[in-house]
Amino acid sequence: MDPVSTATAAPSGLLLAGSVAAIAASLWLLLPKASDTVASRRLGFLLGAVALVGFAATGRSLGCVGEDAVFLTVAGIAVISGLATIVTRSPVYSAIWFAMTLAGVSGVLLVLGAQFLGVATIVVYAGAILVMFLFVLMLAQPSGMAPYDRVSNEPMLAAAAGAVLLGLLTLSIGRLSAAEPPACCRMPSRAQAVAAAAVPADGAAAKDDESTTLIAPATAGGDTGDANEVAHLGAELFGRHLFAVEVAGVLLLVSLVGAIAVVSRGEATETDHRREGR
Amino acid sequence: MIPATMLTNALLVGAVLFCLGLVGILTRRNLIVMFLSAELMLQGVSVTLVAWSRYHGDWGGQVLVVFVLTVAACEAAVALVFVLQAFARTGRLDASAWQALREENLPRVIDHELPADDRVVPTWPHLSPAGVLPEGDDSRSLERDHV
Repeated sequence: MDPVSTATAAPSGLLLAGSVAAIAASLWLLLPKASDTVASRRLGFLLGAVALVGFAATGRSLGCVGEDAVFLTVAGIAVISGLATIVTRSPVYSAIWFAMTLAGVSGVLLVLGAQFLGVATIVVYAGAILVMFLFVLMLAQPSGMAPYDRVSNEPMLAAAAGAVLLGLLTLSIGRLSAAEPPACCRMPSRAQAVAAAAVPADGAAAKDDESTTLIAPATAGGDTGDANEVAHLGAELFGRHLFAVEVAGVLLLVSLVGAIAVVSRGEATETDHRREGR
Repeated sequence: MIPATMLTNALLVGAVLFCLGLVGILTRRNLIVMFLSAELMLQGVSVTLVAWSRYHGDWGGQVLVVFVLTVAACEAAVALVFVLQAFARTGRLDASAWQALREENLPRVIDHELPADDRVVPTWPHLSPAGVLPEGDDSRSLERDHV
């Protein structure tokens, strides 16, 4: 580590410790407890906002958080609604806040340049999995607010553990950004490797070959992702990972059959009796 | 390819989501909320994987996230069936309802202090009539008493 980063590490360590404490306190205040009052919850929200700002400042001092307004917005949406997911008393609201988190995460993925995954998160998670959760909640919701929704297990210890883990992860991420890996450890970008492999071949022949043009990088240096992102991902998925795709399909089928088998407990239904009677 | 600052940004977001999900799965007692917290942890991991994948220009991370999506769908289907079965047996979505399955030497969890019955009176939205006022009898109010 160079002296500059160690010099900046001391104040940011203090800041990090402060924001970790604020995160732990706000989580503890916000998590459902028997002794909750409106005032304590408001204090929790306030501390949560302080913690968020402190955390962003810590990341800033570690040289992490930039000024990308779009990224900060979607990341803020994801984090705040993730917090709301775990502290809301009503499970239905919890599920809806989780949908909001998914929207934020999808935005983060889009900013990162993973267009297919951003869309797939919305379609698969928010469209299918979350709706399944809501169905189950409607099927299995006792009337009124249940006491177990308003009491949580060991909120203080869990909040402290989560905040400390977050602090440790932030520290290691900060160290990662402070120390650039030496050239020998830097992985060559795959696109560059493919391009290097494609160059010696005959240019005209490579252009005719559709698979080569699919994998070859169109805009290798693009910051926000290339235009053929989905095509590249598909080529990778159905090329190198074809067997895994098949296995995933089998897994989906098995879980479908298993879910149905667990629900129907093997008792003979009325139609079965009628069939046997014939 | 994304710059290193963007990588660390995304890693921080992934870490925050993961830790929130961890706290949720440790503290909440509703089985469905616990499950949602696990999905939150999966989201954090997905963000991290995509960030590394974009940083290195390698597709492996994104392919892994596709499989995470697949397995999450399977897991949700199977686990929600189990949750429904558990609810059919106990009538509760409480994880502590199954503490008969604990170790023999462990104490039983007893809720010493339950929250006071703070049954909230729902406040329905006040809908102001808009558009052309329909013909009707004046004896009935335009506002509904529930949604």
